[in-house]
Amino acid sequence: MNEEILKVVDVTKSFEGVHALVDVRFGVTRGHIKALIGPNGAGKTTLLNVINGLLDPDRGHVYFRGRDVIGMAANEISLLGLSRTFQLIRLFAVNNATVLDNVMVGAHKMLKPTISSTLFFRASTARQEKAVRERALEALAFVGLEGERDTPPGALSFGNQRLVELARSLMAEPELLLLDEPASGLNDAEVERFIELLAAIRQKGITVLLVEHNMKLVMNISDEIVVLDFGKWLAEGDPAAICTDPAVIEAYLGTECGPEEGAG
Amino acid sequence: MKALGKIWWIILLLFIALYPPTLGGMSAYKSGILIFVGIYIILAVSLDLLMGFAGQISVGHAAFFAIGAYVSGILTVKYGASPLVALIAGMALSGAVAWAVGRPVLALKEYYLAMATLALNEIIVTLIIGLQWLTGGASGLRDVPSFSVPGFSFDNHVHYYYLVWAMVLLVVASSLALVRSPFGRTLVAIHSDETAAKTFGIDCAAYKVRVYVLSALYASLAGSLFAHYMGFLAPDDFGVMTSINILVMLYLGGIGTIYGPALGAVFLKLLPEFTYQFQDYELLLNGVILMVVLVFMPRGLFGIVQSVTERVKVRGRA
Repeated sequence: MNEEILKVVDVTKSFEGVHALVDVRFGVTRGHIKALIGPNGAGKTTLLNVINGLLDPDRGHVYFRGRDVIGMAANEISLLGLSRTFQLIRLFAVNNATVLDNVMVGAHKMLKPTISSTLFFRASTARQEKAVRERALEALAFVGLEGERDTPPGALSFGNQRLVELARSLMAEPELLLLDEPASGLNDAEVERFIELLAAIRQKGITVLLVEHNMKLVMNISDEIVVLDFGKWLAEGDPAAICTDPAVIEAYLGTECGPEEGAG
Repeated sequence: MKALGKIWWIILLLFIALYPPTLGGMSAYKSGILIFVGIYIILAVSLDLLMGFAGQISVGHAAFFAIGAYVSGILTVKYGASPLVALIAGMALSGAVAWAVGRPVLALKEYYLAMATLALNEIIVTLIIGLQWLTGGASGLRDVPSFSVPGFSFDNHVHYYYLVWAMVLLVVASSLALVRSPFGRTLVAIHSDETAAKTFGIDCAAYKVRVYVLSALYASLAGSLFAHYMGFLAPDDFGVMTSINILVMLYLGGIGTIYGPALGAVFLKLLPEFTYQFQDYELLLNGVILMVVLVFMPRGLFGIVQSVTERVKVRGRA
């Protein structure tokens, strides 16, 4: 169980001379929830974009399930079992797409529909579609939005849109799930519920790498935390160790924290 | 099926089937109007797949209309090929051109994509004018024979009417099947947000090329049908103005609905039949009608149909 499903090795990325990431190196153990924290501008989202293939680093490697995925396109990496949500919600909204449509797109890799399969193998397409639809309804029920299946995503609250993104990313049956600030914009009750959802996701055997500022969530659910500061690895360890690490307190936390307190 | 129930489909099919012997009075002119309507429905619906669903602008759709028409014309007139073979060859060439230019061109976005597709249209028209020995150049290609298959010739306008409308139904039905399937959902995801689509394993470039090739095949079919109906081809019919006309049909009818662009094609092709009596003012009148529709009905003609049927449904429940 101690296999590292994700290994980030010496990843460096700069944008026009600004160092967004400098020799970042850490791993994520299969089955764990790992939090990636740090001040704004520390390079957290950039790192997620490098991991899932939306950005190429200047240097370094990312090993996902033992395979170096640098240079692979985002859609190819996704097929290996990587899924993600976005900090700025990116739900599909054109052509009257509904919440259910959005969630069903998550199952793309199971269908890979083509023109000929659609036109000439209608029975098997319909059968697969029905199975995907049932799974999508289950995923919506999992996040508690089964009643919103026919709603256009734009009509949902911010928090619920995040949950639709979560349901959509789970549809791909990922082995590793990247969540970019999933709790931003959620109220306290919603954060509580989200912590329960994360626990249930870990129960399913899905590994999670989570970028988050909400310390209550981070300290309560993470198995491990890695801290970035100005694009550099600052510290890594379990929540208790990170909370009392003087470097982390100075750079980011401000005070010592604990699972119960909920700073941030 | 949401918007047009089965009843409406049956009424529509009956109307198409019964039009020539009844309202059309078996007249070549009256069948001819609906042959043009049918050809433009194929063009508009095929562009809707590309623009309305996959979200890729094309201001050069007439390029493939031209390839279909000229391959049919040239192969039958100059090389004595059978029309069916020529039609298939036209579709093959259109598909190949779309596939070859699709990857680089569809990597562009918005205005740049519009410019590139417009350039493709211009290139095709320039080639038609330039390759005079093959295409007849600016003075046109004459004596394209009637369409025929082994054992049957569609030299009668009423017969040809049925052939064209059979193709229209095939194109519309297959397009509806596509957009209501996982394939259509994938296109909508690409249209909406390519970055997000990629993170779910969607190969955006491949899907864009696929739908571009399909829309080119359909446009090419329309071109071949046009060539055999007109019997005479001139480059003017395939210029950027034709592409823009197809675009107008999309927005007029309601883009991204399949039915809407079909309705837009019917409206735009029938409009001159009602405004021709104003002679010099015909174009002006057409322009004013278009502006009114586009300004006051942003969801197009099909949007009106939808809101009326919704209202009827609500009243029915009350």
